[in-house]
Amino acid sequence: MSDAIRFGGSDEPREENVRLARWLQQITHITPHEKKSLPLSGESEHQLELVLDSDYHLRFYQQLPDFVMALLTEGKQASIRYAPLLYHLAGCQECHRGYLDLYDAMREALYPQSARPLLGQGTRTLEATPQRMLGHLCQTLISQAEAVLRQARRDHTDGEVAARALLQLALHISARINQGNVRRYALHDLVRVATLSDGPEPPKEEDPQVYTYTPALAGAGARRGKKVVRRADMLTRSATGHELPIIHLQARSVMGTITQQGEMLELHLQDLDPALRGQFVVVSVPLGSLIEPIRWIGGNPRAIRSATVVDNTGALTIPLGQTELRLENMEDRNLLEAMFLLLEVRSAEEQKRAS
Amino acid sequence: MPFTARDLRYQPEQSYPLLYAYLHRNAQRFLGSLKYDAFEVDTVIGHVVEQLVRLGLFGGGDRTPLSALDRLTDAQFYAFLSRSVRNKAIDRLRKRRLHLNTASELEFPDAEGGEEDPLEGAVESIWGETPFATPEELTLHLVSQNDLRQVLKHCIAALQAAPNQLQAVLVELHDLGADELLETLNSELHLSNTSSIEHNPHMSQHKDHAHRKLRLCLQQQSSNLTVAVALRLTECTELRTRATGTNDYTVEIATLVEEDVKEEEVRAGLKELAAEGLLHWNGEDVVHLTADQRKRLARFYRDE
Repeated sequence: MSDAIRFGGSDEPREENVRLARWLQQITHITPHEKKSLPLSGESEHQLELVLDSDYHLRFYQQLPDFVMALLTEGKQASIRYAPLLYHLAGCQECHRGYLDLYDAMREALYPQSARPLLGQGTRTLEATPQRMLGHLCQTLISQAEAVLRQARRDHTDGEVAARALLQLALHISARINQGNVRRYALHDLVRVATLSDGPEPPKEEDPQVYTYTPALAGAGARRGKKVVRRADMLTRSATGHELPIIHLQARSVMGTITQQGEMLELHLQDLDPALRGQFVVVSVPLGSLIEPIRWIGGNPRAIRSATVVDNTGALTIPLGQTELRLENMEDRNLLEAMFLLLEVRSAEEQKRAS
Repeated sequence: MPFTARDLRYQPEQSYPLLYAYLHRNAQRFLGSLKYDAFEVDTVIGHVVEQLVRLGLFGGGDRTPLSALDRLTDAQFYAFLSRSVRNKAIDRLRKRRLHLNTASELEFPDAEGGEEDPLEGAVESIWGETPFATPEELTLHLVSQNDLRQVLKHCIAALQAAPNQLQAVLVELHDLGADELLETLNSELHLSNTSSIEHNPHMSQHKDHAHRKLRLCLQQQSSNLTVAVALRLTECTELRTRATGTNDYTVEIATLVEEDVKEEEVRAGLKELAAEGLLHWNGEDVVHLTADQRKRLARFYRDE
């Protein structure tokens, strides 16, 4: 059977094909999912909305450049090799829009109609790049890591390496963001995405013997419906106005700090539950293995066992590991703070029972 | 030093500031009256950066396959970026226009250096229309182009495993008046005339399930592969195989391999066709087809 349609030609499509095409459109139609709203409110000047969510159709979207190139160089005959993609584009508005964008831009690249643009020049650095854009890049990379993990799960493949690389890149770039609120927005989804393939849910906050610490940043308490604390950068300013080399953490109403002695990072806990007093605890830093600038005590950032027991006031100091990073250095400190976005403390006995 | 697509892939942290600077210049150039609106400029840049990340290029390293974008020359890649910025800028200008009320606000009084109004420039290219510009055009192509239509037919036939769902689809095709497709399916699947099929009381439910399965099947590479191998089998037996005394046809797997269909893909397609009962094959290097099997493949996949 020959093609019944010649696009751009004079032949009218056959009526049967037109009806069949309408039916096919109905079958392939994918209801566009509702865009997730911005994670944090009241900070729109810091936020650029992502065009695609992490559940965009990565498998098809990433085929688009090759498909467009085939169309541009071989014509419509090339479409046969891309049948699954075509059947997808027929029903997915989001990917079809992406196709149109790419087609136009790649056609201009191959067959320019206007003067060639100048090549990029300049000696810009990340420090000179607007913080908002660094934040947007981090958010995009984290969302992409989530998309990679989702696709890998659907395909029964391993997306860990690719996702991890994207998260590492996001972490490194976030360290260049000095505005606390922009960094918070940039890393908003980091813990959730980094722990997606962990399996077990994080411990529930209601368990009095399990503490889930997060950095004591503005609004962190409010988000959980708990007490609002002052900004971490305010908390760590000394009377002279200089940054103190401390990371403040908070779990429920209990505070903790991370300080540095030489190369050793130390976690200081206080006001722990009476049930934990006299017991050893295990500290877990879920993002600790994402980048590796720290030589963790015991070798596993998910299971750092305290060398001493919680004292009778509920206090405990636990060496976490050694690092060349310096808390006094703003960039290093940002990186460490990102790594300690989540820190869990539980009784060693309970941990043993659970495993 | 200018950055390249390779830099964005392998050295994203170092090349991002350069990319930003380049996109920034272009965004200001194309944003007309919005060029001093930092949020608008950054939104345009953000959209292009996000596209590069989503496509697996920015920061993709060796973890995402190289694509046609990686193979562009530097000049072509810059033209691609510049055009992408222009398109996003036009999107933003159009969005803003919706919010403006007066005609005077729609002008671009400060168009620099004779720069055209980007919206004025947003006209059809001299290269003609974009293929598949609308989903309607795309679906019409899918049902009209023989090889692509075979995938649809293959997926409808695959519904045999769920007779009620197959029936629901056949009734739909009958109601649509898709007589030619229906005829091929009826004859190949040995079905009675669809017009006499009684309507199943749960038809709507079966139809929904059938649509879901069809959508999945149509978008699977394996469906395309099966059809491609079936078509290749019919072509090769026409051209390359020798008929034996018993009217059998044979073809070596190596003959079925093409530039864009690798041996393992041929084997996967053959496995699928064997599972569907269209031929007997157990992994041998030579495929044997009886005259009936070849005729059936040709009738179904080539509409002979």
